[in-house]
Amino acid sequence: MPVAQRPRMTAAPSEQEDMPRRRLLSWFTSVGLFGSAVLSAFSNFVFIKPRATYGQPARFAIGKPEEFPPGTRISLDARRVCIVREGGKMAAISTTCTHLGCIVGVSDTGFACPCHGSRFDQDGNITGGPAPKPLPWYKVSLKPNGDLEVDKGVEVMPGTYYNV
Amino acid sequence: MSQATKEAGLWTAVKELPGNFWSSIFRNPLPSSDLERASTSFTNFFLHIHPVKVHRNTLRPIYTLGLGLISFFLFLILMVTGILLMFYYVPSTTQAYDRMLDLRGSVAFGTFLRNMHRWSAHGMVAVVFLHMCRVFLTGAYKKPREFNWVLGVGLLLVTLFLSFTGYLLPWDQLAFWAITVGTSIAGYAPLVGQQIKFLLLGDATVGQEALLRFYVLHVAVLPATLMLLIGVHFWRIRKDGGLSRPEEPANLAVRVTAVPVEKAVEEKKRTYGLVGFVRGPFTKIGNIPDNSVYSWPNLLMAELFVFVLTVAAILTLSLLFHAPLEEPVNVMHPPNPAKAPWYFLGLQEMVSYSAFWGGIGIPTVFVLLLLLAPYLDRNPRGVGRWFARERLLANTIFITLVVVKVIFIVIGAFFRGPNWSFVSPW
Ligand code: HEM
Ligand code: FES
Repeated sequence: MPVAQRPRMTAAPSEQEDMPRRRLLSWFTSVGLFGSAVLSAFSNFVFIKPRATYGQPARFAIGKPEEFPPGTRISLDARRVCIVREGGKMAAISTTCTHLGCIVGVSDTGFACPCHGSRFDQDGNITGGPAPKPLPWYKVSLKPNGDLEVDKGVEVMPGTYYNV
Repeated sequence: MSQATKEAGLWTAVKELPGNFWSSIFRNPLPSSDLERASTSFTNFFLHIHPVKVHRNTLRPIYTLGLGLISFFLFLILMVTGILLMFYYVPSTTQAYDRMLDLRGSVAFGTFLRNMHRWSAHGMVAVVFLHMCRVFLTGAYKKPREFNWVLGVGLLLVTLFLSFTGYLLPWDQLAFWAITVGTSIAGYAPLVGQQIKFLLLGDATVGQEALLRFYVLHVAVLPATLMLLIGVHFWRIRKDGGLSRPEEPANLAVRVTAVPVEKAVEEKKRTYGLVGFVRGPFTKIGNIPDNSVYSWPNLLMAELFVFVLTVAAILTLSLLFHAPLEEPVNVMHPPNPAKAPWYFLGLQEMVSYSAFWGGIGIPTVFVLLLLLAPYLDRNPRGVGRWFARERLLANTIFITLVVVKVIFIVIGAFFRGPNWSFVSPW
């Protein structure tokens, strides 16, 4: 359907002369108001985006190396990492499923996720299920006081061990 | 002398106060004829949402199945019970679960109100969805109702989001892991995904901040949005000329000319009353075959009937079945299998194949298809009848998609066991 024309108002001649200026002014006003509206809408998002978070620190101590005898595979669920020790080599593998964030359980063959059935081998490589990425490995180091420290802020290549 | 009149004046004022007070609220006396009822509906805030007359087809229960109305009444029940629950609930990770137990143990009607809130919420998701199916299968989204359909899709999404934010609040196992999974799905959205996830959670992981945020969304932001959308939805029904209905059989005896409103205004020779604008996009001139009945009592009684039925159903359900509450949150161990509530099981099943396609890609395509349906399917015929033969193709596509969705839900519900591996329910 063609757009029907609006009923034309019959304006006095003097008013008609004013039209271009009026139109320009109303155009500026609209842009100004609309722009302010967009800006204030956007500022809501700035407001609700927290600057500081109260969650867990990315770096934390896990204890002395002796507490993890060779052959250990222990899942620190509260920290969401699995500490692995083979001989003198230690590593920390994430236990947060790369699919949608459930905690994977340590199984005989590696890791298994209860949420949608992703499976990983001992090194965190995908062996089945919908997970798109292998489980990341985090940096392990020794603090001056002799405690081991895991830094979840720093990912390392899978297979990178820390020698104790 | 003047003193006396004043006293008499005051005395009469006091004597007539009840009557005057009453008539200051209700401008019309209790109506006793169609005309009086019509003018009462016009001047009463709560009634004026109704047109004075409605088409007979609107009142056929078989046509609408009352589904839109039931959605609305369930929303009202949810508002009332939800506000009552707010008196006891605390959105804190250390208190929320205990408050749920308190509702059960030490609050009068606590369990009952929680049951009502929960079953109405489940019911609303189901009924809103069925209402959408009814609208599609009767072709009621066709011109001029396209935009009301778009608003409807918005209503469906807000309804789903309301239930999603609602079930984090008890802070039980289901709550925690459903939100972990749900917000991770949001994280897969291209470009802004991680930002959205962070804004939703207020932190890197699900915790106190997330609980508070979901609470605010659930009790303020989303209900307000829904109310606004429902208001516009209802207003549009009036402005789109009432509910859709089959084309009138061409009645040869009367001459009906429809002219666009603008034309009606421009045409100088005739004058048209304001009613012309009120009726809808078309002004009808001439004798209109009158297939309509007065809203009061016909529509009002039908609404009252549906309302009583809805309330009775929810009350019965809430007496018979208790709303579930799982174990308190254990951030270290997801339950195995960790299942979402039934209406998200289809999504969870799809996500178990691919997080991006199942959680973002395909749902986005679905929503876009829904939004665009009235603009893609522009065949004006077959409106106002269930399964009209002229709409065979559109209806087949729609029903197929619904069936696929239901199959996914059934698989997720009955055929998935520990580690989301395939199990047989038998
Ligand atoms: C909170 C959710 C909703 C409420 C409370 C609601 C309410 C209503 C009501 C009371 C009606 C009157 C007719 C009837 O009862 O069927 C109606 C009609 C309509 N609804 Fe909804 N609705 C909702 C969601 C939706 C959805 C999800 C859609 C579609 C995507 C939709 C599209 C429509 C359309 C197009 C009409 C006009 C139908 C016609 O003219 O026959 N609504 N709605
Ligand atoms: S979250 Fe682990 S498979 Fe989905």
